[in-house]
Amino acid sequence: MIVVDTLTKKFTTKERTSAFALRATTREVTAVDRVTFEARDGEVTGLLGPNGAGKTTTLRMLSTLLSPDSGKASIDGADLATQKAAIRRKLGVLGDAKGLYWRLSARENMMYFAKLQGMNETDAKQRADVLIRELGLEALGDRPTQGFSQGERMKVAIGRSLIHNPQTVLLDEPTNGLDIMSTRSMRDLIRGLKAQGKCVLFSSHIMQEVAALCDRIVIIAKGHVVFNGTPQEVLSTTGLASLEDGFVKLIGSDEGLFA
Amino acid sequence: MSAFSFTRMVTVARKELFDLLRDRKSIFWALFAVSISGPIVVGLLYFITKTVSERVEKTTAPIVNTQFAPDLVRHLERRGIKIDAEPKNYRERVKLGELDAVIEIDPDFAKALAEGRPAKITLFTESSRDRSAPIVSKLSRELQRYSDTIGNERMILRGVAPAVARPLQIEEFDLATPEQRGARLLQIMSFYALFAGLMGAIAAALDVTAGERERQTLEPLLTTPVTASELAVGKWLAVSAVNLLAVTTSLIGFLIALKFVPLAKLGVPFNFGVQEFAGFMAVLIPFAFLVPAVFLAAGSAARTAKEAQSSLGMGASLVGMLPLISFIRQTQPPWWDVWVPVNGQYAVLSKVLRSEHIPPLDWVAMWVIPIVGVVIALMIFSRRLGNEKLLAGR
Repeated sequence: MIVVDTLTKKFTTKERTSAFALRATTREVTAVDRVTFEARDGEVTGLLGPNGAGKTTTLRMLSTLLSPDSGKASIDGADLATQKAAIRRKLGVLGDAKGLYWRLSARENMMYFAKLQGMNETDAKQRADVLIRELGLEALGDRPTQGFSQGERMKVAIGRSLIHNPQTVLLDEPTNGLDIMSTRSMRDLIRGLKAQGKCVLFSSHIMQEVAALCDRIVIIAKGHVVFNGTPQEVLSTTGLASLEDGFVKLIGSDEGLFA
Repeated sequence: MSAFSFTRMVTVARKELFDLLRDRKSIFWALFAVSISGPIVVGLLYFITKTVSERVEKTTAPIVNTQFAPDLVRHLERRGIKIDAEPKNYRERVKLGELDAVIEIDPDFAKALAEGRPAKITLFTESSRDRSAPIVSKLSRELQRYSDTIGNERMILRGVAPAVARPLQIEEFDLATPEQRGARLLQIMSFYALFAGLMGAIAAALDVTAGERERQTLEPLLTTPVTASELAVGKWLAVSAVNLLAVTTSLIGFLIALKFVPLAKLGVPFNFGVQEFAGFMAVLIPFAFLVPAVFLAAGSAARTAKEAQSSLGMGASLVGMLPLISFIRQTQPPWWDVWVPVNGQYAVLSKVLRSEHIPPLDWVAMWVIPIVGVVIALMIFSRRLGNEKLLAGR
């Protein structure tokens, strides 16, 4: 269970008027502005928004990588500001950066994270075996990840984030760059997590993706939450027939999708 | 944030070391480069010393106007010097380096000698050419010896003891032990050992800092319970292990080369036994741990692997040049010399090579400076790893 209450994050960016300008002006950008929502156990919550809306920054704050400037959040009762270590143990994170260690095998990549999560050798091995089977990586498990395809890499990355069997899972654009087959198996995996009673929060900029999976949708644009409800409510609120039209209307612009 | 976990730190160190050693090509080339440097340097030294002593042994003396000084020619021949009579264009050939030196006997030589006037001999040399120097000095020594012999004979003929003309007796007493004379040549060995300690860590330090960011593995890593300080210490230990491997390989390369190259035969007495090896390791072990810590702190500041590579490579080469100052310097080193990293290591390594007594304070410097350096550098590194700007500014 994730509770997010008026979470805010500002960045200062340095900008130069031209490539040769000596002085840079600093500008403050509010990437996430008083974002409030809840994600429940046994449900899939979709964080939907155009590129640059603040999805990744929100997920990074929840995974303790960035500290919020104001607002609060808690995961299963553990406070984000004060109980970072506890939160890191509760969470499985597939973040914006999904890099693997190329010279290590799929199994070794997973085992490293298992040990950092405090698992012992036997438990870690067992769990890695289970995940490798569930993700269909049997043939690749002991090969260095260097030559893996994008879909295979994504599978290893997700295996790595689920290695300690976390109750809460954050997924940042988990289907980005995947082909149809890989996207389908990723959806199956997310449904499987839901069936196990986990709390899944995943971000996407694709409406169909979210509609196919989510129990609840949180739409954010320019750092603000503009909608929070079920897919049906998207239609009833906007009075439009398709989710995509509803999404575009809610974020308030056409170009936002491609910005 | 949770307290420092030793287990997690060891997990990081083991994974990094394992990962670094998996990069077989890089490791192989790095170790290969440091291990052949020793044999190459020792081999070159052997070759150069051998050529020089052979040339001095087989010196030939080109003499112009031999007919005016047959006794001098005979004297030189008796001393084992071959005579090359009447060389042509000798001035140009000395200038060009075909001849090392030429003795020109003045046409007035025989007459002046008979009359007891100073008889003139000109020694043509080219002083800017180093390789001619040993031969020039041998020839001028022999000419002086001939001059002394005639002078002595004249005095005895006149009933004067030759000692009268030698009011002073100047003796040089060389306090250098044979090891010390040999060590001067092999100073270069300490230079290389330090260089291995600097270069051995670069690739590994880059891989675990800038490489971690470029592979986009730092962000996932930081979502696990591992803390920045555990990561910093673990990575430092792994890179240090690789560096220590490089330093040891370089020393073993030297050891093997010295076993097979008979430097002692050439009058380069050189002793590098167990004691010297232990002395070297006692200096190089703390150094091998210091360098990676500094590199990690510096490498984490760079935005890209490329940027880190160029700045680290340049820094290492510049710092590696520090011992040159001691090499060129003609004055007594100042007291703080030994407390300057790299420079101090070089100074103490030289003392080990010369089998000199090393004051306890020097050993304090060899260990305290690296320990302080490591603590400071790791604090900087760990702060950088924990800084959220590192993720945002990717």
